[in-house]
Amino acid sequence: MTTWRKDAEEDVIGTSALALLDARRDAISEKPRATAADEALFWLAEFPLGDDQFAVPLQHMRSALPLRGVTSVPLAPAHVIGILRFQGQVVTVLSLASLLGNPGWREDPQTLLVIELGAGRFVAVDCEQIPKPTAVPRRVIDQARSQPQGAGPSLNGAVVEVLTSDRRQIFLLDINRLLDRRRTQRDET
Amino acid sequence: MKLDPFLQDLLPGFAVEAEEIAQRLQGELVDLERDLTSEQRRPVYESLARGLHTLKGTAATLGLEPLAELAHQMENLIAPFREGLRRVPTDLADALLRGIDNFVMHAKAYAMGQTDDLPSLPPLDHLVAENTPSTAAALEVAPKEVAAEEGESHGATPPSTERQTTQTHPGAHEPSEGSAKLLATPESEFEGSWRVNTGQVLALMREVERLREVRLRLDDRRRELEIALASVQRIAAQAQTAEARGLVGSVVRALGEDGDEAADVVSSLEEGLKSISTLPLRTVLDPLQRTVRDLSRRSGKEARLSVVGGEVSLDRRLLDSIKAPLVHLIRNAVDHGIEAPEGRRGRGKHREGAIVIRVEQRGNLVFIEVEDDGNGLDEARIRDEAIRRGMQPLVELQALTTSEVHQLIFHPGFSTKREVTATSGRGVGLDVVRSQVAALNGTLEVHSRPGQGTRFVMAVAAEIGSSPVLMVRCAEQFLGVPLLSIDALLTAQQALLRVGRNRVQIEYREQILQVTDLSVFLGLRPPGPVEDGKPLMIIKANGRQLALAVDEVIGDRDLMIRPLPAELRDLPAYQGAAILAQGQLMLVVRSEWLTDPGRLVNTVSSAGQRALVVDDSLTARALHRAALESGGYLVHTASDGQQGLEQLATGSYDVVICDVMMAGMDGLVFTQKLRARADLRNVPVVLVSARDTDADRRRGLAAGADAFLSKKDCASGRLLSEVSAVLARRRSA
Repeated sequence: MTTWRKDAEEDVIGTSALALLDARRDAISEKPRATAADEALFWLAEFPLGDDQFAVPLQHMRSALPLRGVTSVPLAPAHVIGILRFQGQVVTVLSLASLLGNPGWREDPQTLLVIELGAGRFVAVDCEQIPKPTAVPRRVIDQARSQPQGAGPSLNGAVVEVLTSDRRQIFLLDINRLLDRRRTQRDET
Repeated sequence: MKLDPFLQDLLPGFAVEAEEIAQRLQGELVDLERDLTSEQRRPVYESLARGLHTLKGTAATLGLEPLAELAHQMENLIAPFREGLRRVPTDLADALLRGIDNFVMHAKAYAMGQTDDLPSLPPLDHLVAENTPSTAAALEVAPKEVAAEEGESHGATPPSTERQTTQTHPGAHEPSEGSAKLLATPESEFEGSWRVNTGQVLALMREVERLREVRLRLDDRRRELEIALASVQRIAAQAQTAEARGLVGSVVRALGEDGDEAADVVSSLEEGLKSISTLPLRTVLDPLQRTVRDLSRRSGKEARLSVVGGEVSLDRRLLDSIKAPLVHLIRNAVDHGIEAPEGRRGRGKHREGAIVIRVEQRGNLVFIEVEDDGNGLDEARIRDEAIRRGMQPLVELQALTTSEVHQLIFHPGFSTKREVTATSGRGVGLDVVRSQVAALNGTLEVHSRPGQGTRFVMAVAAEIGSSPVLMVRCAEQFLGVPLLSIDALLTAQQALLRVGRNRVQIEYREQILQVTDLSVFLGLRPPGPVEDGKPLMIIKANGRQLALAVDEVIGDRDLMIRPLPAELRDLPAYQGAAILAQGQLMLVVRSEWLTDPGRLVNTVSSAGQRALVVDDSLTARALHRAALESGGYLVHTASDGQQGLEQLATGSYDVVICDVMMAGMDGLVFTQKLRARADLRNVPVVLVSARDTDADRRRGLAAGADAFLSKKDCASGRLLSEVSAVLARRRSA
């Protein structure tokens, strides 16, 4: 018969999980390098979609929820996954990949990000993983927004390519512009 | 006019009170114009006198001398008729009603501090004397004549107008003992009541709605905790976690009890708010007496409005919302419906037209009928006007049934009147009435018989925001159908159906109705035969009917229907979404959309190649659908293998795109089952998976798939090209 000993389990966990938790704590508490010069930071909620990293401004993100309880809407445009109840409101759930013209995806999204579009209006978008907070100097964002976009999926300013200090490429999304673009496409059709 | 700041604060309350009293006075004046007996008039006169006295007294107290003077003049004008309990002449009633209107207008202006452009009040007695000689003469009539006129004798001599107007000044008027009593009565009506700002009550209602949501979320949390606890019980060592599990278990129980208590509080608050926020419907209907009277006078007609069921109490917001539609229907009845007295006599009708409003509450539904005994709708004229306006192709207009012709009157801009008058002719009205009723999730129907009259039937939910819906299931989708639009529920039986080559029909109440599957309407599955035993709903909206098949009828519910978010407002199929008891959302279809002939054409004409997407991921289904639709495919979806097989059994598809890793039946088993069936053996299958090792591919192809793609490979264009390649290979094989 196997007996369970609390201290024995702690030993096992101690070397792996605790170290991981410590590492995470350090990562969260560590200031980004850019702050060394006391630069203003812009916080992003960063997540993967297919082969690329995407992000939305953290200040617009209201919640990250498991992708369930979504009611599908027959006859809705293809980029609409369905509707969801969030804080008493009926919120549209959008397929981010579809809005971006389907760049492909690695795993089926399990997470929904609830994003405020302004004036208390929300939409939810799906993503493959729970986003992580990333800080980027604001000047980098301003610079990226002011420059013509390169090879990335610009989509008329709805997606801005940001290069972090460690040379990582993140596509910053403007959901309002993505929806406007979709509306324009529909009207043209 | 400068007022003491303290008095200024009282003005808003005075304006509201004046409006309430004025509303009552108007009804009483209209009654006093009628041929009542003296005894019937007595209480009406008493109430009228009390109302005028209250207006005068309150205005004088607040220092609003012109208003006090106006009320005083009205008292003087009515006094001789009150003394003799005589019928109020029409021209005097006109002057008094105008006086009441002016009083309310000025009271409101004072309350809002907007008195700069306010016209001065014309003296009423002069108005009567100059413009209405019959009243001026009547005021001189001796009491004996009055008694003779009514066959009764009154001992008291009415004071002359001159004596009354010079006798007192409102500011100096000392109420007699009798009038002091009169003055006291109306005040007692307000005893124990508060005037509360509407916005505050509405804000409170919204908070209670939020509280109800919180209660639902409490239930969600409790269920999640139960699931977590059950999971811990399965995987964790029992003895060592017993204490923690016991603690969590007690939290779950406590949360359940808190949820129940919260539910009680919410119910109690809702009941309380309901009692605050409801008023009898007569508060809206009584002022319509004045509308009928004024309009009849203006158009040289005679009409009387009767109300049955005005005591039904409804939400004030609902009352506000139905006020305008009712006014319009009443104006419509007088202007278009009721004939001139001579014309009515020629048709053997009473010279005075009858307009009846009937109110009846059945459950959560209120039915309001507005019926007149006038002309009725002129079908030929409506049809001609529609042809003249080119509203629909001539052939279609000529083929319309009577009921469908009647629906044309709700078309924006439609009017059979060639001349524009103050009342009608612009074609603005009935379309607005219908849209206002539709905004309340209600329905408006019209029934008419030539020469006999017209009846409009408005049906709305008694509790604002909540609507009775029938919950049904179509494939995997639960939907609400407005109960008001369902005429009957039947069960499909082949013996009752007329199955043609392209359509199925059913005979219902001597009419042949088209039978369609709601799932087909919503693009959930391709058209197919209607199976025996399927529930059929007879849907009726905008004068059209059809039979809709659904997979299952769950039952009726009273639900709060919320508008869809901005991104989906353009979808005409839905009137909104309702929150079910467990907190999930259910779409509620729009009955007008179901019976819209334009939508029928669109549904039937959707041709092209058909693809079935089987995937348990909402996102994957959405992405595959987008890709395939861009290639011209008509796409249906299923969320698991079993559902996919059921879809394939009811409709034919040119290609199937199926996920490999699905709960229950996975994509490999699905493909094998499909290949094992003779009728489906040749349907091309493209398997899609997040895992795309060589072994995965080999397994997929071995199961019978025509192609294997990773989800990453399904990027724009790739899925479509793979599907095209598979179809080409199948064709050439």
